[in-house]
Amino acid sequence: MYKGGLTLKILLLLIFTDFLETFTHLCFKKSALPESGFVITKPLDAFIFIKTVALSGFLWIGLMSVIAIFIIWSTVLSKIDLSVAVPVASFSYILVPLVSIIFLHEKVTALRWAGIVFILMGIILVSLSAKKDATVLK
Amino acid sequence: MKRGLIFIIILIVSTSICDTISQLFLKNSINSLNISIDSLKKIFSFIVRLILFPKVWIGFIFSCLSLFIWLFVLSKADLNFAFSLDSMHYVFIALASSVILKEKVGFKRWWGTVLIVAGIFLVTLGSG
Repeated sequence: MYKGGLTLKILLLLIFTDFLETFTHLCFKKSALPESGFVITKPLDAFIFIKTVALSGFLWIGLMSVIAIFIIWSTVLSKIDLSVAVPVASFSYILVPLVSIIFLHEKVTALRWAGIVFILMGIILVSLSAKKDATVLK
Repeated sequence: MKRGLIFIIILIVSTSICDTISQLFLKNSINSLNISIDSLKKIFSFIVRLILFPKVWIGFIFSCLSLFIWLFVLSKADLNFAFSLDSMHYVFIALASSVILKEKVGFKRWWGTVLIVAGIFLVTLGSG
């Protein structure tokens, strides 16, 4: 199966999923944030935790966003290789810290940014090497 | 390192492992389906056919478990810290692809994996 290159439309879709991904985790964080003091000591506590978090609308908005990402990815991956899609998608590793600073008032140290750069380079290398495997599959 | 931090890291490792197991089951099911998806209609028929696979359900259970642990992590840790560490699932997938799926993991991919681990190490150090 031949897969074409990265078109502007696909690139925009991928960047859109980066934002959706970031939005998802921001929602998840918002839904879990009020439970920061929650301690799980017995299995029943886990259910109480889920119940409390599930009452937050943020969790459900986040889950809907996950479904949207899944549908967009299924479409995108039928058009381009994973090795092209993943590096563009890993843009969210930069977006999430930015959003954390702006909306959650978290602190990101210089060392942490350096770590994020390493992670990004790692993800790009990992996905570039997938290109060869994908060719074998075709 | 603080005890709380180690606990959070163990939880992130668990959620990444659950995620990896879930993706292995999904990948295994998709491989046995062997259809191409190029239209929205096909995506839905693809999803419907996937749902009928028992392995997809096992994957789904692990996804739920992963989400549950993830929410618990987020209730305790900074989002930017947890999200960066969650990139370790790339490492687990590389390991699992090589050991379980017997895929050939090339030189480049191992180097990428090493960089991700180094990055995770720096991010953790950066949390003081």
